[in-house]
Amino acid sequence: MQFFGGSAAAEIAPSPAAPPGTATGLAGNNANMLYIFNRSGVCLLYREWHRPLHTLDAQQDQKLMFGLLFSLRSFTTKIDPTSVDKGNLGVPLLPGQGCSFYSFHTNTYKLSLLESPSGVKVILITHPKTGDMREPLRYIYNIYVEYVVKNPLYVNGTPIKCELFNTNLDQYVKTLI
Amino acid sequence: MAAIYSLFIINKSGGLIFYKDYGSAGRMDTNDSLRLASLWHSMHAISQQLSPTTGCSGIELLQADTFDLHCFQSLTVSQTTQRKGKKQYGTKIFVVCEPSTLHMEGLLKVIYELYTDYVLKNPFYEMEMPIRCELFDVNLSQAIQKDRVPLLGR
Repeated sequence: MQFFGGSAAAEIAPSPAAPPGTATGLAGNNANMLYIFNRSGVCLLYREWHRPLHTLDAQQDQKLMFGLLFSLRSFTTKIDPTSVDKGNLGVPLLPGQGCSFYSFHTNTYKLSLLESPSGVKVILITHPKTGDMREPLRYIYNIYVEYVVKNPLYVNGTPIKCELFNTNLDQYVKTLI
Repeated sequence: MAAIYSLFIINKSGGLIFYKDYGSAGRMDTNDSLRLASLWHSMHAISQQLSPTTGCSGIELLQADTFDLHCFQSLTVSQTTQRKGKKQYGTKIFVVCEPSTLHMEGLLKVIYELYTDYVLKNPFYEMEMPIRCELFDVNLSQAIQKDRVPLLGR
């Protein structure tokens, strides 16, 4: 948590106060889905709030999402116009190595990505017109640290089944613009 | 420093038909640019499959730590219907530019206009093949000139 700047523990307990600028005014169901992957590609959490279209079954969908992120990572590292040493395309990268991306949008959705230094990926899919989601993602990561990583019954690398985490996540996501 | 780093044009089947570099650091050989183009083609297609709602036509803007990538897909697409989703593969033009450069949509449209005028209307050009048209090169480099980029946002 130190990586993402200080006072998050105070922010979270006991009733979460959203970071400034993310939870003002128009509350709505803006978020579509949330994925959390660990560094080996296991989907720890998949939540959906609003998803009318399902093209694949859940497991295939999660695999495809991780594959997309993995390949886009190597794509951005290779195409990065500011670095001289680009390495080879398709070689697995360590978390934080090379040039990464934090969001892309299509005409129907916006995907925002946060990769923690330990390789945990938090992916939030929202309406295409939403603004910068990096702060909200850090907040969600902090909720994950507080309620999942610090839960003594949680075994690392297994799907998340923590009720407190889910309720806090839902509560926070509802406030996103 | 250049506002635009590079320009790619990909045909309907994912092959690179035009690539121009405007001063990015490091060397990228022909093989790498071809692989990047086909990789982008498939990532673009996968992003359509992951859409939560219908009618997705692929990535329009990718924001990375050190650059932005704007992608434009032509409306004349070849469609394949697979399971529930309809996939669209058009000719794609994408530029890599500095983070939060403005008016890139306008520039992409201008490049597409140049492509239709000087490439597609060229009787010696074969569809889906690499672009080797002198007039296109000349007009493109005029359009890309840094000072003109703000003027193109009409």
